[in-house]
Amino acid sequence: MRRDRSVGSLLTRAFGVLVALIVCSGVAQSTALVMQHRVVNELSTQVQPLELANAQLRGVLTDAQRGLRGYLLTGDGQLLDTYHVARSGYQLAGSRLRDLAHDRERDAVARQLAHADAWWIIAEQQRQAPPRSTVAADYVNRGKPLFQAFVAENQALHGDLETRAAELHRRSARLSIVTTVVVIALTVLAAVTALLAAVVIRRRITGPLARVVSIIDRRRSGELEIRADASEGPTEIRAVAQAINDMAEEGDRIRGAEKDVARQRAEVRQLGYRIRSHLRVEEAIQEAVRGLADTIGADHVLVRMAPGQTDVPPLVSLRDEHVGGVLKELADCDVSWLRSGDMWSSEDIDHEGQGVPPEDERRACAAAGAGPVLTVAVSGSDECLGALTVIRDDKPAWSPMEARLVESVAADLGRGVHHARLYEREQHLVARLQEVDTAKTDFMSTVSHELRTPLTSIAGYVELLLDAEAGELTPPQQKMLEVIGRNTRRLRELIEDMLTLSKIESGSLRPSRKPVDLVKVVEQAMAAIAPAAAKGQVVLRTEVDGPLELHADPEQLDRVLMNLLSNAVKFSRPDGTVTVSARREGDEVHLSVADNGMGIPPSEQQALFARFFRASNAIHKAIPGTGLGLAIVRTIVDNHGGRIAVKSTEGAGTTVTVRLPVH
Amino acid sequence: MGGTTVTVVLVADDDADIRDLVAFKLEQAGLEVIAVEDGQAAVEQAKARRPTLAVLDVSMPGLSGIDVCRMLRADPATSGMLIIMLTARVQEQDVEGGFSAGADDYVTKPFSPRELVTRIQALLSRARA
Repeated sequence: MRRDRSVGSLLTRAFGVLVALIVCSGVAQSTALVMQHRVVNELSTQVQPLELANAQLRGVLTDAQRGLRGYLLTGDGQLLDTYHVARSGYQLAGSRLRDLAHDRERDAVARQLAHADAWWIIAEQQRQAPPRSTVAADYVNRGKPLFQAFVAENQALHGDLETRAAELHRRSARLSIVTTVVVIALTVLAAVTALLAAVVIRRRITGPLARVVSIIDRRRSGELEIRADASEGPTEIRAVAQAINDMAEEGDRIRGAEKDVARQRAEVRQLGYRIRSHLRVEEAIQEAVRGLADTIGADHVLVRMAPGQTDVPPLVSLRDEHVGGVLKELADCDVSWLRSGDMWSSEDIDHEGQGVPPEDERRACAAAGAGPVLTVAVSGSDECLGALTVIRDDKPAWSPMEARLVESVAADLGRGVHHARLYEREQHLVARLQEVDTAKTDFMSTVSHELRTPLTSIAGYVELLLDAEAGELTPPQQKMLEVIGRNTRRLRELIEDMLTLSKIESGSLRPSRKPVDLVKVVEQAMAAIAPAAAKGQVVLRTEVDGPLELHADPEQLDRVLMNLLSNAVKFSRPDGTVTVSARREGDEVHLSVADNGMGIPPSEQQALFARFFRASNAIHKAIPGTGLGLAIVRTIVDNHGGRIAVKSTEGAGTTVTVRLPVH
Repeated sequence: MGGTTVTVVLVADDDADIRDLVAFKLEQAGLEVIAVEDGQAAVEQAKARRPTLAVLDVSMPGLSGIDVCRMLRADPATSGMLIIMLTARVQEQDVEGGFSAGADDYVTKPFSPRELVTRIQALLSRARA
């Protein structure tokens, strides 16, 4: 790892260089400007005024010389005026040149002015000479070299100044080129620096930043165990990665804690179900005590029931051997200070409006150990049934969450105890009812026995008489005894049917279901009814698609079929037909017994299954019967979860159909 | 009894009318009848007279017919006796109780004297065979 890979320092450095380059460029341009200014200044304030003054001086002297020479040659006074004008301007022109001259030109100017002064002296002498004279001509000739010396000097200075001006122009041009080159170079350098910085920063930031962003995205999509690489990239990105990792750790920790809480809640809910599933108060409490110790990490769990609520022992306690030990004292404390919905914690001082335990309870809590104690009321339908106490031997104190869980268990326990008490009461009631039922059955049994014994005597003696064992009978005696015999049989059947119906209805004759082949039951019933059918000259037919297995009580099924068959035979005319058919229809077995006998009047079909009901046409024709047969059939069918239907047309026949579930 | 071929039948029933009815019918059928009115007497008579067959009412005060049956079966002297139970009950447990005590047959009240005689004769002929 390099010493400092911070993006900040990189940016600072890059911008530093850029600023330096821009400053350099500025300095170069300013320097160039100053230098240019100096050149121009020199040109305009020194060289050019000097050139002008020099030219003026030459003009003055040229005018003077031309005027003087013209005068001398022509004698024209006008030309002499020109000379005088120039003569008077010379002092000014000469002093201006002298004033303008700097050190380097001063010698040349002095020499020039010396030549000029020398010429002026000669010129003054010439002026006084008479024009067009040889003297004048001589003077002209004498003054000519002097004037030429002056002109040469003037020319030299002029040349010198021209050269200087040209030099200054060249310098200015060179300066301008150098400045431009330098500025261009600096600008290119700055641009390259900026570009390089951009590229480097992009490479250093974009890549690592994209990796961090992708880590965040993957975490969001569920890869919770993934972490950002905090060892690579610039300092800032590393800091961001570290922050993300810290956040992830914190998130994991929170999630883990939430999962723990959720697990505990689920366990408490399961515990609640288990508590409520118990049908005995003591078992429900034991479940709560065991479950709480395991789920909530209580060292001791104690449940005390309020006296008078249940006769469950006051203490059903805890997972260790402390019963009779440290909890002994607390177990003996009564819980009447608790109201429904109360909660008391030894750590918590905030229990406004809640029951506060009396001194002996507090003392007992202290005796149980120094740890935190939490006592919650066990309530069932708004009354306090008892108290649930959880104790830790040591810290930590019970958290609000744990308190809520304990409260939830207490609520479930309250409900469980409430239900169990109801169930116990119910059980008690059922036991009582069963006793009553048994008594009733016993009574019925006794009655039937008591009735049967005299019936046996009557029937037996009638039989003896009819068998002529006590001597021959007269026809009227015979007929009367037959009436007694018939009614004795009827009485006997009534007793039997009543007993059966009573037993079935009381439930003591619950169907003991097992797989039964209906085909066999039909066969047996047909065989049993055959003698009666033969006696009444009734034809029996079966239409059965076997095998037909169903879940039913075979004896009761036989009873149903026998009752229906005996009715059908009984109400058939001679040469009538009784048809038994059975078939499977989906999840049901349909069993029907049809006859083409006398039928049932439509108005009476509704009452058919009522006890002791007998159809009017049957009574009219004095066909014997108890009126209980169909009532028994119906009760049995109902007990099997089946249905029964009757279709009858008076004078044409009756069909009774029984539908029984297969399972 | 010696050379006589008359079969002796013990009839035990606390109801005098039924006792007389059964006794009358059995005598008519040519059997010799010892009629007693309770279980105790039935056991005594069975041991004293060694009847071939006993007709016992199940519900008698004191020793019930089932008790008597059990006692007769337990005594080697009377264990081979044929026994028919008279019962007023149709509950299965009574019938089973009778059979488990060792009865050979049972007849439920109200019964036909004719049917009783038929069953007795069937038992006797089976025993002889």
